[in-house]
Amino acid sequence: MSDPVPLISLHDLGLCYHPRRTLFSKIDKTFWALRGLNLTIYEGEKLGIIGRNGCGKSTLMRVLAGIYAPDEGRIVFHRPDCHVELLSIGVGFEGNLSGAENAVLNGMLMGKSRRHMRARLATIKDFSGLGDFFDWPVSTYSSGMMTRLGFSTAMEVDPDVLLIDEVLGVGDAEFLAKSEAAVQAKFQSDRTVVLISHDPGIITAICNRAVWLDRGKILATGTAQEVSEYYRSKQNLGVA
Amino acid sequence: MADRIGKINRYKDIIFYRTVAGIKSEARQNYLGYLWFMLEPLLSTAVFYFALTQVTGRGGPDYVAFLLLGTLSWQWFEGSVTAAASSIREKYATLIQFDLPKFIFPMVTVLVNSWKFFVTYAVLLALMPLLGLAPNWRYLELVPVLLIQLGFILGLAFPLALWVTLSNDLKVIMSSSFRLMFFLSGIIFNSEKVPESLRTAFYANPMAVLVESCRDIVLRNQTPNLHRLAYAAGVALLLLVVGLLQLRLMDKRLLKMIHV
Repeated sequence: MSDPVPLISLHDLGLCYHPRRTLFSKIDKTFWALRGLNLTIYEGEKLGIIGRNGCGKSTLMRVLAGIYAPDEGRIVFHRPDCHVELLSIGVGFEGNLSGAENAVLNGMLMGKSRRHMRARLATIKDFSGLGDFFDWPVSTYSSGMMTRLGFSTAMEVDPDVLLIDEVLGVGDAEFLAKSEAAVQAKFQSDRTVVLISHDPGIITAICNRAVWLDRGKILATGTAQEVSEYYRSKQNLGVA
Repeated sequence: MADRIGKINRYKDIIFYRTVAGIKSEARQNYLGYLWFMLEPLLSTAVFYFALTQVTGRGGPDYVAFLLLGTLSWQWFEGSVTAAASSIREKYATLIQFDLPKFIFPMVTVLVNSWKFFVTYAVLLALMPLLGLAPNWRYLELVPVLLIQLGFILGLAFPLALWVTLSNDLKVIMSSSFRLMFFLSGIIFNSEKVPESLRTAFYANPMAVLVESCRDIVLRNQTPNLHRLAYAAGVALLLLVVGLLQLRLMDKRLLKMIHV
């Protein structure tokens, strides 16, 4: 890649939660899940976000996906029609609709048109390996079959920026290999991918750049290798 | 612009699919689903009929049809608004995953309920000859009246879905308010019983206007009062606009507020 083209930039971004007050708790506290965040995501890069539980990773994903608006600072999309989507598997399925209908509905939830999804039904059916069950109501599926359908659908959605939260491969041994390979393929293509994980090993293996997020702030930015090593060393020392 | 149209098209498709799913689910999950929906107004009609004719000695010709029309409209209204009010909260898991406008789920809930209502209403109209009322072309006038009621239902469903998401306590207040409104909407009594001095206040409630309009058409074969209907349509429209604006304003903040 010659000159990196910025796709999304965060400027001094902050997001806070206000724990609900009840009759018995008088504390009025604001909890900043993210604060003073400056980050640019470049076109085609594979960015890893590393951090412990509760460091703000998931909140950051929701801000990027447009589910939450920041309370402070700005998020700028450098392309107006930039489609960012969280990889989700089987969320929002309707038990009474068939696998095929759910694939279309799920794709629409993820920002694609009905036509786009209908054109890809054969591929989804094929990849999922569900066979005739594809036309059965999803309520008759086992959880494994549900995962297969959800994953196969998500793989056909093709957003400009794919956000992945921990999940890489899913399903039984046979499907796990297939799904892992599919995700890897997304990483090898020129698509922009943001992966969050608490495992530096995975980040080093598939990302080219990484960010260490801790308590809503960025502690380090650099190549995946550098950040992972830094993260590991600090973890061992018990600093972070 | 093209992007906007594409989005609206997508939302329309999502609403359509979800509504179909909801209707199918009602039919499959509950073997007697539709039958129950028809039985409920019949049962409450029977109760009111007994209480009002035998106990208080009211009634008159067409009283059964009168009660049926009232209870059915009311059930559509109350059932839809109540169910829609908790729809955002119930779909939290889906909404937290996708960037979707929050009006989608209340709207789907209302549409599923409305479908059941329209089926039942059609059956009721078909049965009118059994109650001694000849069918007539004026039934077509029911279409705009019921559309105004649909608008009114959605107009209440949107803001209530938002507020119930923020505070569950509101549900209790809501059900008491419905009970009060039921008695103020003329479901079980004729609006002629309302004293002249209170008529204006009585008709300030769009449900009273809508229920009476349906009865004008079906029972009395006369065109409903258009001024009052226009007023009801105005209230519905105002509520719809305010409700949608509120949901839009809170779109990216609502889920965060119930997150913790």
